[in-house]
Amino acid sequence: MPFISKDWRSPGEEWVKTEEGWEKKKILECSNLVVEQHNFNPRYADDGNENECANEFSTSWMRQNRLKEQTDDESNKENKIECYSSQTIGDGTIQPHCYITIKCTKEIAGFNGLSDAFKRLDFKSAVHDVRRFNYICKLLDLLITYKLPALSGCAQKVLFKMLEEVAQQVSTSQQNIHLLNKLLDQLRVIIDCACWGHPLGSTQLWENHLNTINRIVDIANSIRIREPSDESFPKLENLPEECIREVLLRLADHKDLEASSKAYSVMARLCDEQRIWRELCLFHFTKQQINFVLEPNDSKAAPDWQRVYHKLRKAFGLREEYAEIIQLCRNCRCLFWKSIGHPCIADKNPNFMDKLQDVDKNTLHVPIPPQAFLTFFSL
Amino acid sequence: MPNIKLQSCDNEVFTIDYEVAKCSTTIKTMVDDLGLEEGDDEVVPLPNVNSSILRKVIQWATYHKDDPAVPEEEENKEKRTDDISSWDSDFLKVDQGTLFELILAANYLDIKGLLDVTCKTVANMIKGKTPEEIRKTFNIKNDFTPEEEEQIRRENEWCEDK
Repeated sequence: MPFISKDWRSPGEEWVKTEEGWEKKKILECSNLVVEQHNFNPRYADDGNENECANEFSTSWMRQNRLKEQTDDESNKENKIECYSSQTIGDGTIQPHCYITIKCTKEIAGFNGLSDAFKRLDFKSAVHDVRRFNYICKLLDLLITYKLPALSGCAQKVLFKMLEEVAQQVSTSQQNIHLLNKLLDQLRVIIDCACWGHPLGSTQLWENHLNTINRIVDIANSIRIREPSDESFPKLENLPEECIREVLLRLADHKDLEASSKAYSVMARLCDEQRIWRELCLFHFTKQQINFVLEPNDSKAAPDWQRVYHKLRKAFGLREEYAEIIQLCRNCRCLFWKSIGHPCIADKNPNFMDKLQDVDKNTLHVPIPPQAFLTFFSL
Repeated sequence: MPNIKLQSCDNEVFTIDYEVAKCSTTIKTMVDDLGLEEGDDEVVPLPNVNSSILRKVIQWATYHKDDPAVPEEEENKEKRTDDISSWDSDFLKVDQGTLFELILAANYLDIKGLLDVTCKTVANMIKGKTPEEIRKTFNIKNDFTPEEEEQIRRENEWCEDK
């Protein structure tokens, strides 16, 4: 007879019932002190502006605290203290991080749970951070387009929760509406071909998902662009050209530039300037790439940078950049957000520090773009 | 010189640390040109900035006074419109009028960092929108004649994704 542990579904796990269903205790422990990233900034607390976001998160914050009390009572006090002191920084918040098994075979990858990683890395509240929004959108994009049928029910649930957060964020900020619509369009394609068994698995779970999806679609459909009142002063039209040029210089692709030039005559005039297109080229492409496209006989005449940009774009593709990215620490095989950091074994263990003396510190943290992130999991 | 007095266009005088005021190249040049020294009771007039905006600018400058200067080669960072610190993004949760006034003030006072972050915020409002939506977002009147619209359409035709 095979050995079956007490709880054979996931040996040794303790589970806690939450408002969103059963959750592993270890996950709650690592996430229940995670506060919005704002609070990591010590200077932030001095400012009056914090109230707004404090309200926004207070509900989930309170719920988390209540849970924490529960789990505190049950657990071994000594272990607890040690675990908190190692995972907390300054003001008692835990840096979201997630240990994973790398170099994985299919079997080992099964131990890297995608839904666990989402929770541990605090993706849900990261959606509300401008710096991390794009990374998460790209991840959702990849998951919805290629992987949705392969996800576990639990991971699907977390995915839709994240999508709902994205919809809410888009609706309040009125920014990135196109990204939300793109995600929903892809989702629609999947839903249309969903049938019993594949790709949806449990019918009941799928019905729950459909409810969530409908909620998200409702949010998306009710987004209306708020027009500033006629009395509001100054308007964009009152800005001098040099300021509008500064704005256009910050747009990172041709579609936005073309849309702006169609929207407003001043922008149309500015978009004809070479400087805007030259800087766009320099942002997306390396010197070598640009020289490759610039024809040698052009070198006397000034190049038409708009034409050069489109040539380069078709030849090399645009560069993808994220203000904030997940990194992997090679010491402790831990995924974490670059700007928040993580509790590293190297910081705690002096022996480990000695070993690292000859190592180039810059190679210790590897940036993980969204495509690479998904390769750690068995999907 | 620890403190400096700034006067807004509505005649309110702000006394602030010179270290904070120095992030404005305009004020720095003025102080250098006027040869202001410690103990001088000279007031620097800023006729293009009203008191409520000047107060916000000072708040921003106070928070950022210790920021390291941006190295020249990293200028391309300006396209990364999502690279706005959470403090700045909360600071800029203001109505459009105030946002544009801050751009004007940053431009006049020549505060690079503030101009960068305010322009990024406006660029984010443009991102991914159709021309019609952009007009709506900023309440811009469509000032193209049908002929001009046709011309723009033709000019852009060749580079559209096929």
